[in-house]
Amino acid sequence: MKRNVAIIGGGQTYHAARRHDVNQVEMTNEAIRRALDDAQMRIDEIDAVLVSNMEFFEGTHMTDCWMADGSGAYGKPGIKITTGGTVGATTVCVGAHYVASGLFDNVLCVAFEKQEEGDTGAILSSVAHPLWGRSLAGAAVGYFAMMGSSYMAAWGAKEEHSAMVAVKARQNARKNKYAHLKLDITIEDALNSRMLAWPIRMLDMCPASNGACAMILADEKTAKDRCKKPVWIRAMETAHNEQFELDWRDVKTKRPIFSKVCASRIYKKLGVSDPAKYFDVFEVYEPATWAELVWYEDLGLCKPGEGFKLIEKGMTNIDGPIPVNPSGGVLSTNCIGASAMLRVWEAALQIRGDAGGHQVPKDVNRALTTAYGGTNWAVMTALSKTLD
Amino acid sequence: MTKKEKELISIPITVNVPYRFAAGKYMTKFLMELKNNGKILAIKCPKCGRVQLPPRVVCAQCHVKNDEWVELSHEGTLVAFTIMYLPLTDPTTGKPHKPPFVYGSVRLDGATSVLDHLVNIEPTMDKVWVGMRCKVVLRPQKDRIGDLSDIRCLEPLPGQKKPRG
Amino acid sequence: MTKDKAYEPFEVDQRMVAHSNYWAGEMGSRFYITLRDKKKILGVRCTKCNKTFWPPRTTCVFCFSKLDELVEIGPYGTLETFTLVTYSEPVHPRKAPFVYGIVKLDGADTGMAHFIDEVDFNKVHIGMRVKPVFAKEKKGNILDIQYFKPI
Repeated sequence: MKRNVAIIGGGQTYHAARRHDVNQVEMTNEAIRRALDDAQMRIDEIDAVLVSNMEFFEGTHMTDCWMADGSGAYGKPGIKITTGGTVGATTVCVGAHYVASGLFDNVLCVAFEKQEEGDTGAILSSVAHPLWGRSLAGAAVGYFAMMGSSYMAAWGAKEEHSAMVAVKARQNARKNKYAHLKLDITIEDALNSRMLAWPIRMLDMCPASNGACAMILADEKTAKDRCKKPVWIRAMETAHNEQFELDWRDVKTKRPIFSKVCASRIYKKLGVSDPAKYFDVFEVYEPATWAELVWYEDLGLCKPGEGFKLIEKGMTNIDGPIPVNPSGGVLSTNCIGASAMLRVWEAALQIRGDAGGHQVPKDVNRALTTAYGGTNWAVMTALSKTLD
Repeated sequence: MTKKEKELISIPITVNVPYRFAAGKYMTKFLMELKNNGKILAIKCPKCGRVQLPPRVVCAQCHVKNDEWVELSHEGTLVAFTIMYLPLTDPTTGKPHKPPFVYGSVRLDGATSVLDHLVNIEPTMDKVWVGMRCKVVLRPQKDRIGDLSDIRCLEPLPGQKKPRG
Repeated sequence: MTKDKAYEPFEVDQRMVAHSNYWAGEMGSRFYITLRDKKKILGVRCTKCNKTFWPPRTTCVFCFSKLDELVEIGPYGTLETFTLVTYSEPVHPRKAPFVYGIVKLDGADTGMAHFIDEVDFNKVHIGMRVKPVFAKEKKGNILDIQYFKPI
């Protein structure tokens, strides 16, 4: 990168199913004030404000304009970003580009979703081509169900393995005061929860959450002068899939799938040969349990077909050798526009040692985060404690 | 004085936007051949040879113009499926698909791409499996409208049994 | 090579229907409830900037202070700008012709967009003094002010 970029502060809301006490901008403002406090910065020190959420999920467009008062964007440069589920991570990427370019020193990145307000099923169906599949478009659950069924058929995994992911996420969420679904559940509870679309059960899916996240990015000089624990953004990567090609769910496909392409490119940038050893913690984007198992394989944390063995052996537990989603992940909190930014922010908290109850019990020097956009592209961000 | 629970106001909004969608050259040819002649056409990339569905002008992988039309078989293999227990609404009609139903992904013989559709079969795990052979069932010609729903569903080929294991 | 068969361009008419429910939050709710129950219009004051905003909001757009001082504004106001709408569209809230304008309520520093009725189209002008007419049946939304009319 032209200039080094650090995360010098961040904040999030207490995520919940209902937030009738605040409107969209007021909810988002809670995260922004926490981020400014965390960075010990005033809004007039911010050079640009980037705002992100899902297009039209709340029945509102141009939310950056709705938010100019509460986001602090009034009179400042900045843009609205909408890249589906990845948007929070894309916004961090754009913010990092702003700073790395040398044009801006301090950039505020804002992401939110108030899922209870909109008809996400109807809006998501508009992602499907009007003449090719829209009549059959329903919800993300169907796509992840097919991912699960093909994963089981290909590798011999069982429903118990997805249940293990469901339990890990919600038990981790219980340690995270900001998480939405803090459930004290067992594998049996997960296996007995209501079937939505075989093999996806209620507890295999993410909730619909209301929440926001905000992060402040700065150049190296500001970060070193102003911040005790800057977290450095070392690499960012985005890779798109091919429109209409749904074989990304087919774990045995030979085609270069977006998630694997994205991972191999970011590893090449950083010179990573063994990601499970190189990174100390992972925050992956798993709207459904099976997605987490597929991420293990796509990220190269294990060989293809061995993802379910990682969860079986507890390797990805909060105290395991390869902790994945100690925050509880998307399975526990899904305010979609903010979910991908929460992955980056949670990873930064782990590096700072500030994750609190869900801090992983080992030194964290490097972290990797992922996100899906409409399950058609992936965005990844690599963070580190030091610049070496 | 007892404290009344605080009233909070919400405002319901419905957005209802009409639009006209142009299918474009390749999709038009695909849909018209399906509607008028019951043919399922795909397009083959001159470079990588992948047979792509639905047909589109550019091969995303090779960045070359696709121009070789291929007629696909109406039979194929199920590569993934789910039994859906949620009453998903068909956004184009506003009517729900009545659950439970089987929804699957089939690779028609000769195609590289897969096609997602409803599978007309009893929604139990004994009756459906990855690898099952299927055929497409079209609407009667007079009822076809030029949309993917002209393929009514997928149906298993007769005489198959779910493999053990 | 055989000549490609010509196909008429194929277009389909569809609709996109989406329902949403906007929660006004605590401050927004106080505005709507006060309007509905007391026929009073509230703005919010920033003492630091010496400004009164409508609609009420919890952050000052200028100084980023937290705001919580609700004050009554109006009900009289001044027409800041207007237009006479002479064509109809399905998305319009009314059939043409009608006057639509920005009213700066007395005591407020920002305007409110609303209908201007009971007005001679030839006499409507910038600077015209107006007052609200409240709806008989109130629903807790901005149309509890049915329209503004000249004083």
